[in-house]
Amino acid sequence: MSLVLDIFTIVAVSAGAFFFLAGTVGLLRFPDTLTRLHALTKADNLGLGLVVLGLLPQAQQPFDVIKLIAIWLFALLAGATVGQLMARVARRERPTP
Amino acid sequence: MRTIFMRAAMARGAGFFGFWLLLIGPNPADLVAGLCAAAAATWTSLRLLPPGGGRLRYAALARLALRFGQESIMGGVDVARRALSVRLPLRPGFVVYPVRLPPGPACNTFGALTSVLPGTLPAGVDHGALLYHCLDVEQPVAVQLAIDEGLLIRALGGTHDDT
Amino acid sequence: MTILDFLLAAAAFVLAMVALGLVRILRGPEDADRMMATQLFGTGGIAALLLLGVATEARAVLDVALTLALLAAFASVAFVRSASSSEGDDPKETNSP
Repeated sequence: MSLVLDIFTIVAVSAGAFFFLAGTVGLLRFPDTLTRLHALTKADNLGLGLVVLGLLPQAQQPFDVIKLIAIWLFALLAGATVGQLMARVARRERPTP
Repeated sequence: MRTIFMRAAMARGAGFFGFWLLLIGPNPADLVAGLCAAAAATWTSLRLLPPGGGRLRYAALARLALRFGQESIMGGVDVARRALSVRLPLRPGFVVYPVRLPPGPACNTFGALTSVLPGTLPAGVDHGALLYHCLDVEQPVAVQLAIDEGLLIRALGGTHDDT
Repeated sequence: MTILDFLLAAAAFVLAMVALGLVRILRGPEDADRMMATQLFGTGGIAALLLLGVATEARAVLDVALTLALLAAFASVAFVRSASSSEGDDPKETNSP
């Protein structure tokens, strides 16, 4: 049972780390501010979600599970809100389309 | 009206305090801080989002949450594929989406929800329409947005006939 | 290799991705680009702290991650506010009734 949970953790955390890699590559490679913002908001939020998912079976106490989920939900909410605010700033910093 | 307000205040306060207990743990010495935090959170939420309006429909809300989860995975995979591809397949541009939701919290929620859609990011408002920045303007962006908007209108208990 | 080593290695990897993303601060060119590297620091930092906290069973680290999540969101909102006010707020952009 513990082995199954450990494998689940390894798979989910590895997938999360992969999306952090993709987010950083996108942040460095994409050609302009708005496309970079896509890479950041989408890839990194998914990466954090997968890391949290992978950590859930490893938590020692039920309170920790709730706290992990709360942190993830908050980061998701903040990311979605801040992402569109940043997009407005980025759009105004350059000539309008 | 006043009873609705008080009932909303009590429900939200209890919710915030319960959430605080879950985060910090039931330690008697900390309870005063928790009550103060819950009161401040309730005051803020009543100020920013006054009670009233339609009732939430939980079935539609659950479907919206499920779709949100699927879309955020697809959005992440999509952006990862483009970032790691050698050719860097991007066709960025703007799409104007004439939003049916009224301006205000509902419309802002729609913006936050759709910021996880594959390849789209709300980037401002233009004469009552939402302006979306897209990684690939040849994707069927408006179709996906319309599906999301219909679900959100139904979840908020909307009365639009055309959903 | 135990699950503990794996979680620590994953934390180190995510931190390395954050450090690589900070190159965007040097390159810019817009302020929004630099702020996005800071956002990456927020999301990646939360993920690394959660990995560390669960791996080492240091439960207080989860609270640190929660605080970082709050502060990262506040920092981004403060940036957006200052960027909007310095260019003169466009009333069309405020999406309120």
